[in-house]
Amino acid sequence: MIHTFYRDSESFLHSLDPRTKIVGFTITVIVILLFNDPFVTALLFTLMLATGKVLGQIGIREQLKLLKPLIPLVIFTILLWPVIYKPRSMGLLFGVSFALRLLELGLVTFILLMTTRQREIIQGFVKLGLPYELGLTVSIGLRYIPTLYMLTREIMDAQKSRGWEMEKGNVIVRIRKMSAVMIPLLVASLKTAHELSIALESRAFGAGKKRTFLNDIEMKKRDYFTLLGFILMLGTALYIRYFLGVGHIRIYG
Amino acid sequence: MRGEPKTMIAVENVHFTYNGREVLKGVSTTLENEIVALVGPNGSGKTTLAKHLNGLLKPNRGRVLVDGMDTREHTVAELSRKVGYVFQNPEKMFFEETVFREVAFGPRNLGLSDDEVEDRVRWALKAVGLEGFEGRTPYSLSGGEKQRLAIACVLAMKPKYMILDEPTTGLDGRAERMVIETIVSLREMGHGVLLITHDMNLVLELADRVVLLFRGKKVFDGKVDDFFKLQLRRYGLEKPELLRLSEKLGVGFIRKPEELVKALEGWG
Repeated sequence: MIHTFYRDSESFLHSLDPRTKIVGFTITVIVILLFNDPFVTALLFTLMLATGKVLGQIGIREQLKLLKPLIPLVIFTILLWPVIYKPRSMGLLFGVSFALRLLELGLVTFILLMTTRQREIIQGFVKLGLPYELGLTVSIGLRYIPTLYMLTREIMDAQKSRGWEMEKGNVIVRIRKMSAVMIPLLVASLKTAHELSIALESRAFGAGKKRTFLNDIEMKKRDYFTLLGFILMLGTALYIRYFLGVGHIRIYG
Repeated sequence: MRGEPKTMIAVENVHFTYNGREVLKGVSTTLENEIVALVGPNGSGKTTLAKHLNGLLKPNRGRVLVDGMDTREHTVAELSRKVGYVFQNPEKMFFEETVFREVAFGPRNLGLSDDEVEDRVRWALKAVGLEGFEGRTPYSLSGGEKQRLAIACVLAMKPKYMILDEPTTGLDGRAERMVIETIVSLREMGHGVLLITHDMNLVLELADRVVLLFRGKKVFDGKVDDFFKLQLRRYGLEKPELLRLSEKLGVGFIRKPEELVKALEGWG
């Protein structure tokens, strides 16, 4: 099932300005990528789970459940490293470390999406300088994913009723068979896009030069403190990594 | 008749839950060589029930037998030889360049020979009044023609039973007439037709039997004249003007305007 990740709550992370969270997200991603020592990545992973739990009021189990789809990739990573890297025990450790980094990147994304409404994220990006048209395009794109999913299922049902079977035949036959679904889907999507553009223009989209917002967002004290916290975190991470030389292991040579 | 495979669709105590909501709460009914109108307000489970008849949905509890075949043990493709399903929006199924190839898609999936496929396409297009359209692009047809093409696409597979989901919605009067004529001819050819509709005039004119669903339960299953004796307002439905008029005039159960005119002529 496709649904939005957002969980309604009044946690600290929910109350932050989306701009703060976008900046925080970016800094967190940089910090994650600074370290590859499995012990440090494991520590970071634990810290992130705790942050999600304490500041975002998202249960540990729920956070882990969202990471489930990444499991095949995680297993692949852990198994592949010892194959290509010697000594193998070291390779295994790197495998674990890189898998954890992968999970961390997933986790920080999910925490952002679970604590911020879709339109807030778009609004945040627009306030940070992204053109509004682009923000709207992204939000419309996201909005139509569930609709297209439903449409695809319905088209598949219609074609199945005409004796169409996806499961039969080799790869080439199957790809050709997909046209029975792809073409109606494409036609319906183009029609929807056309109608949507008419609907937007009939509501005077683009008439005003400068856009105003119905629900304006505002940076509060807690946002500035949080930003300061993130900047300190980045500074500390850089200090640990480059001056103390801890947390990073040279893999090549 | 126990033990003998009956030639009909039998829906037996079907329960179906979707996203934690029980959409069908134990529905039983049958479909034989007749036109059955499946009616009820939006969200009453009409389409969900219809999708059980050709195996697109499988019951959580209870079973559906198509001429003795349990739908849970057969794929939709297998059942498509017996049960045809024409979806509400015909555009959702068109993908070929020409009308001919579009109609041929179903029979080809059945693995028929080229000659047989061609025969069936010509026959199906004739049955819906679309002869001469073979070379056209499906998307270039008018609304009514698209609807009839959709029926032809399914008809060409020669299923014994046909499910039509809102076949006249959004059509103008003339196009609607053509679709109605097509439905009548389906019954004459010996097909069982399940007609999902909100149009009470259509029910009055065409249905032999009516099944009324309300909040996932069957509340009525019987002859069309008995159906219109119900308090239809309670189920969000309206009695057709024609029937109200004929009742006030005391000419009995009238199904078409022409019949009313005839009855009034008798008054002299």
